Amino acid sequence: MLVAPGKGGPRLVALNRAAEEGGLVAGELLSNARSKILDLQSCAADPAADDAALQRLALWCLRYTPMVAPWDEVNGADGLFLDITGCAHLFGGEAGLLADLAGRLRRFNLRPRLAIADTPGAAWALARYGRADSMIAPPNGAERALQDLPLAALRLSEETQVLLRRLGFRRIGDVIRQPRAPLAARFGAHFHNRLDQTLGRAPEPLSPLAPPPVYRAQASFVEAITTQAHVVEAATHLLSNLAEDFTRDGVGARKLRLLLFRMDGELLSLTIGLAAPSRDARHIASLIALRLDRLPSGLEADFGFEAAGLHVLAAERMPERQALLAVADEIGDPTGLSRLIDRLEQRLGAGAVRRIHPRQSHIPERAVLLRHATDGPPAEWAIDVPCNTRPLLLLPRPEAAEVMALIPEGPPRQFRWRGVLHQVAQAEGPERIAGEWWRQAGDEIERDYYFVEDAAGRRFWLYRAGLYGRDGATPQWFVHGVFP
Amino acid sequence: MQPVLSISRRHRIAALRETVAGMEHALPGATPAYLPFGLPEIDRHLPGWGLTCGALHEVIAATHGDRAASFGFVVALTAGSLAVRRGPAMLIAARRCFADFGEPYGHGLRRLGLDVGRLVLVETRLDKDALWAMEEALRPEVAAAAIAGAVEGDLDLAMSRRLNLAAAGSGAPFILLRPPAMAGTSAAATRWRVTTAPAARDRFGTFARCRWNLTLERCRNGRPGHWLIEWDHVAHRFGLAEILADCAPSAGAGQDSRRLAG
Repeated sequence: MLVAPGKGGPRLVALNRAAEEGGLVAGELLSNARSKILDLQSCAADPAADDAALQRLALWCLRYTPMVAPWDEVNGADGLFLDITGCAHLFGGEAGLLADLAGRLRRFNLRPRLAIADTPGAAWALARYGRADSMIAPPNGAERALQDLPLAALRLSEETQVLLRRLGFRRIGDVIRQPRAPLAARFGAHFHNRLDQTLGRAPEPLSPLAPPPVYRAQASFVEAITTQAHVVEAATHLLSNLAEDFTRDGVGARKLRLLLFRMDGELLSLTIGLAAPSRDARHIASLIALRLDRLPSGLEADFGFEAAGLHVLAAERMPERQALLAVADEIGDPTGLSRLIDRLEQRLGAGAVRRIHPRQSHIPERAVLLRHATDGPPAEWAIDVPCNTRPLLLLPRPEAAEVMALIPEGPPRQFRWRGVLHQVAQAEGPERIAGEWWRQAGDEIERDYYFVEDAAGRRFWLYRAGLYGRDGATPQWFVHGVFP
Repeated sequence: MQPVLSISRRHRIAALRETVAGMEHALPGATPAYLPFGLPEIDRHLPGWGLTCGALHEVIAATHGDRAASFGFVVALTAGSLAVRRGPAMLIAARRCFADFGEPYGHGLRRLGLDVGRLVLVETRLDKDALWAMEEALRPEVAAAAIAGAVEGDLDLAMSRRLNLAAAGSGAPFILLRPPAMAGTSAAATRWRVTTAPAARDRFGTFARCRWNLTLERCRNGRPGHWLIEWDHVAHRFGLAEILADCAPSAGAGQDSRRLAG
């Protein structure tokens, strides 16, 4: 059993069956419990681990329905809502689904209490306070099914419950039959809201785990699969199932999630992004294979995967193009390039494939921006701006150089950089680049750039930071780039 | 007058040949196209009037200090190819290749005449990944205008054969930049060695064009040679440096005149 610090000392939070049979109840002081049972074993409760476990279970439940919502604080945060609208028939009706779920959960050594009802509130009440471990309320039969349940099943605050009990209400059936107005005046709108939500008269929005993808495919396997080749094949199969929907709607997948359900309840989830929408099963399967190669500890298929799901997280309109006679435009055949980018990103990691975008700035290192190639080609380079002398290779940060100049503000005569002395044969400049005063950096000082060629014909880009005679300090020189 | 005419006629034939090759390129079993330098002095040394598209070409810096120049030559070839061919250009390099002198700079690439908007950069952690990425980029369906690669380590004969084969399938010129002092056997169609040279200057003594000492060390079905070339980034054209015609004043004279003017 688990304890947590509470009012007056550690109190019991959760009990196992043996403790319950010993007459203990949750909320009791640990010292009282010890006096009742001598050889009591207790552990500290770990709510964070509980949450994580519930989250894992919620992900696992995605095998039944895409709408899974963990209970929030008000609901006790120890269970899940599954919206099985339109899903039950896949598992042999509601009863079949419930039996399947109960069987699997028992195999995980859990003691589930399950209920199916018209509303989340009614299902919650039945699961919490119902007589049997798994119950099904018939459609529109929530009122009758709930009649005998205690008032706590309405998810009311503690004071409201105490007050209602003092007024003589014990069961839900008692309050349903009462006129609404006096009760509303006494307990506020919240009371009736809860009642209506439970009975399906008011909507109760759930916050599902993940937004349900519009395109998804699911497959369970007769025998668990363990090898990577089989996983890729299964994914290809799922994709070809989706291909028809894609073609019908004229869209392609831009981002996918492959879910692999392992026999022991673990879930492996892979997200795959594409540079351009695609509906080609073979191409996406090859990306999945590359992604599986990149898993840090390989494909951990201890017991094998019993089911797989493929959710399309983002789909985009895909222009139809003729397969063979497509005329490549200036940028080139976009499908070939975007597929290459996909493959490279899957193997080398996101951010390995980039394009250079221009940026409006005078400061050389700020004047370009490297962005993911999936963002598309830059349009701005096409604008014909006169370009000044700029180096082909720019050092990641300017490196200090010892420079000798004939006159203080003049071009360098010779300089030592990385331990090598360069005699300057030709120097052009200066090009003065002032700091960007609107950036409020404060330490931005103007730089005088010189294009310098040494005696061997090597070309460098040097700058002097600041001017002579300011603050009495000697300005420093830096090498910022090299020319071809 | 006669030789000039014949050269221009040869040029025209070469250009026509290239156009036809470009048309035939989409068909299987197409003849390889060429990327001409536009200089008969160099093109004469190469089989088929220019760099063979769909083959591996190696560029090696003569010394560590010439790495920027050798990269400049690769960029110039890529820019030339982008000007005449369709599709994107890929620059695939292991991270270590640009560790010494910095990363390629967009405005600098543009200054060499490269269409930066069509350039895709691929940066990998290891040479092995870079070589894999090059093979992927050389697939025919990518239809790249040019593929430039850079590796830092040694390249064995088997790998260079693989790359050459992949390039043959792609039909795009594939230029591989290799570090200095790496000159083992390889299956490359050509190997160029680049040394930096003092730049071409206009009559005011200011910088006009980059100049490189270019040595064609090895060339399959061609002859080696040595030239001093310059790259005209506006016209996307190489030129042979005419040393005698260079009217740039010497360094000392430049200093003097500037002082007088000041």
